[in-house]
Amino acid sequence: MNGRLLKPAIIGAAASLLCSSPILAQNPPPQKRAEHVEITNGPGLEIAHDDLAIVRWTSSNPGGDDDHFAVIHYGTDPKSLNQTAKSHIRLNRGHPETIFRVRMLDLKPDTTYYYRVTSMGSGGESDGVESSVNHFTTAAPGQVTSAFPPPE
Amino acid sequence: MRRDTRTFLRTAFAMLLGVLSVPLVGAVEVRAQTPPPYNPYPSGILPANLDSEISRVRREVQTIFNRYFAEWQALTPTPTYSGNPPILVPNGYDAQRILGGLLNFDENISPFRDEACAFCHMPYTGFSGPIPSVNLTMVAYPGSYHYRAAKRTAQRYTYSHTFPVLNYNTTQDLFFGGNFWDGRATGMKLQAPDAEQAQGPPVDPLEMGSPDIACIAWKLSQAVYRPLFELVWGADFDINWPSNTEQVCSTPQGAFGSNTTPVALSAVDRTKATNIYDHWGQSLSFLERSNDISPFNSKFDWYLKGTAGVTLTADEMAGYKLFNGKGNCNSCHVDGRSTTLTPGETDTGNTASVEPLFTCHGFANEGLPLNPRISLFYESRPDGVGFTPNPDGLRYRDLGLGNFLRSGPQSFPDPNQPEWLPLAPTADGQMQVMTARDVALTPPQCPTTEAGTGKPYFQKEFFHNGYIKSLKQLVHFYNTRDSVPNPNGYKTYAYPVTSGHCPAGTVERVTCWPQPEVKNNIDMTTGALGLTDTEENQIVAFLETLTDGYNPANPTVSTYKNIDTFTGQCSTTTPGETASNQGNAYLIPTWNLAQFPCAADICDVPPLPTTPIP
Repeated sequence: MNGRLLKPAIIGAAASLLCSSPILAQNPPPQKRAEHVEITNGPGLEIAHDDLAIVRWTSSNPGGDDDHFAVIHYGTDPKSLNQTAKSHIRLNRGHPETIFRVRMLDLKPDTTYYYRVTSMGSGGESDGVESSVNHFTTAAPGQVTSAFPPPE
Repeated sequence: MRRDTRTFLRTAFAMLLGVLSVPLVGAVEVRAQTPPPYNPYPSGILPANLDSEISRVRREVQTIFNRYFAEWQALTPTPTYSGNPPILVPNGYDAQRILGGLLNFDENISPFRDEACAFCHMPYTGFSGPIPSVNLTMVAYPGSYHYRAAKRTAQRYTYSHTFPVLNYNTTQDLFFGGNFWDGRATGMKLQAPDAEQAQGPPVDPLEMGSPDIACIAWKLSQAVYRPLFELVWGADFDINWPSNTEQVCSTPQGAFGSNTTPVALSAVDRTKATNIYDHWGQSLSFLERSNDISPFNSKFDWYLKGTAGVTLTADEMAGYKLFNGKGNCNSCHVDGRSTTLTPGETDTGNTASVEPLFTCHGFANEGLPLNPRISLFYESRPDGVGFTPNPDGLRYRDLGLGNFLRSGPQSFPDPNQPEWLPLAPTADGQMQVMTARDVALTPPQCPTTEAGTGKPYFQKEFFHNGYIKSLKQLVHFYNTRDSVPNPNGYKTYAYPVTSGHCPAGTVERVTCWPQPEVKNNIDMTTGALGLTDTEENQIVAFLETLTDGYNPANPTVSTYKNIDTFTGQCSTTTPGETASNQGNAYLIPTWNLAQFPCAADICDVPPLPTTPIP
């Protein structure tokens, strides 16, 4: 067999295999972004340790990028929410609503924080929804606190 | 150890091998003298039955090699290249697949001719780790040079071929594809990440450990199946091998310092050897995509097809709905189907694919605790050839994709630097989202991964660091990592402790989750799902339907190729043991992280992690 013919043959065979891959079907392009997104539940504190807190809320499914970020702007002064945390979540295309959860690290114990939440696609596009300012208080050293009743 | 001492050791070892080696005649096998075992481990890290289990798996590997060899011998008619472009016909697929099988189960590829690729990836575990005691203790598998060992669990081969070339999607601002937990087998060169994954372990010093990729070409030139390799690839083995090639290739990597080409070849011959190694990887890729490994014939596949008589049990169906609904598992382990959030809701979506892959091909940091049982932590002193596997010792931290993007230790160089380097902090702690398919695949005589079911079980390990020991624990972790709803508000099982230090009154992996090894970039899709104990079990039941080899005509006998080769012992449930606390008797305390903080070559490399890693 002519080696110069053999190599293109192998490449061609490999290319045909790649073209028949199910990958393209598995990872479709981002879904259409919702025209209107609203928060349907929360936001509220899920749980607060002495140095870490998780805030959660539910919104209508914003669509767009499957990969999304829950974003929280927070601070100890309600007029200066000068810190930001964001947590990665994946949208579920079939779910009418999406639960967003965001964790804040390196907080001070027994301290009240004010916050406002929003969400955005992994590409940075805002979902166009933002909460009003809310607040939570971190736990005393070594303790844990959570909301009551628990947000859904 | 001083540098001159290491040099002396390397030289002495190379001389010893030179004395013991004999010239090759045809395919005569030369067995190198192995150096004294490397055992820097504290008592209990290596399982007591390690040597006998290594021997057991080697026998099984040889059995399967012989089966592929017999398949090759029986292949008729022998295919030839025909047409324009030339195509290998007939039986071209079989020829390529059988070649992949011979390569995968050939022990001669390693320096001491004692370890095939399949040693860490056997069919009866879905091509993941085959030794229950290793899965319970040291996590990573011993290499050709005993007992060097790597850093993570042996990742399943199944469906690895479906991952695209590692790419950064600029629309979604995320990485997709690649192979290995950290994505370091990008697929850039061969356009198949699993082909490049296959090229890693043969020259990974902690695994098979050949000192030079040319050694694989050298071994193939002697292999009994060389004619098949030449038939499939038209490979050119006309290489002027140096007289010391066998000696060099019988020496484990590390004995030659930083020299990665100790086989002295001309530029032309080096290219030939490299091409052979590339084809070697491509054949393994073909094997992985073949029905021998990824056959798409689980019970769930037959169910989707609507095969008569194949129905999901009530628990399996409930688990499927939870997988898509409350559990939200299919947000990442995408099944190609639509979803239903509430019972009774109708699936109005279209089937995106008849081959649901159960992965999004992306990366995520699930926040697993550091596992102090991983052997790599203890490999911080030189071995018998003067090589130190992990100079960082207890200061090693596994940053996954982030470490690869920084071209950090225990990974590959990032071929797309400098473009991807700034993205490293966004990827710290992220590991590949594997397919959920075959996660529950076990040998027939040990029909479950779960203790406490009344059946003998096969001890597997899950996630990149093997911290999780059963599927029940896996689902429970996703469910309760952060918070657990109860009538009085959320409670938590998350404690600011390391593994082995859960507070009194809690049970690790049941009511206590130690802090994450990497707290940056933790995925928050899961972690507080609010599943009940029964619902967790139902998701496990559904995961078990994703096991390939289901035969609708005879559901009790698996058709998965070579699943019958396990000759070891199943595990039996001990008093008080359940799937929830499975393996807890083997927990050991983590060292004080403040005393051994993350090493500078991992955590102090710009761009720095967004939050310091303990």
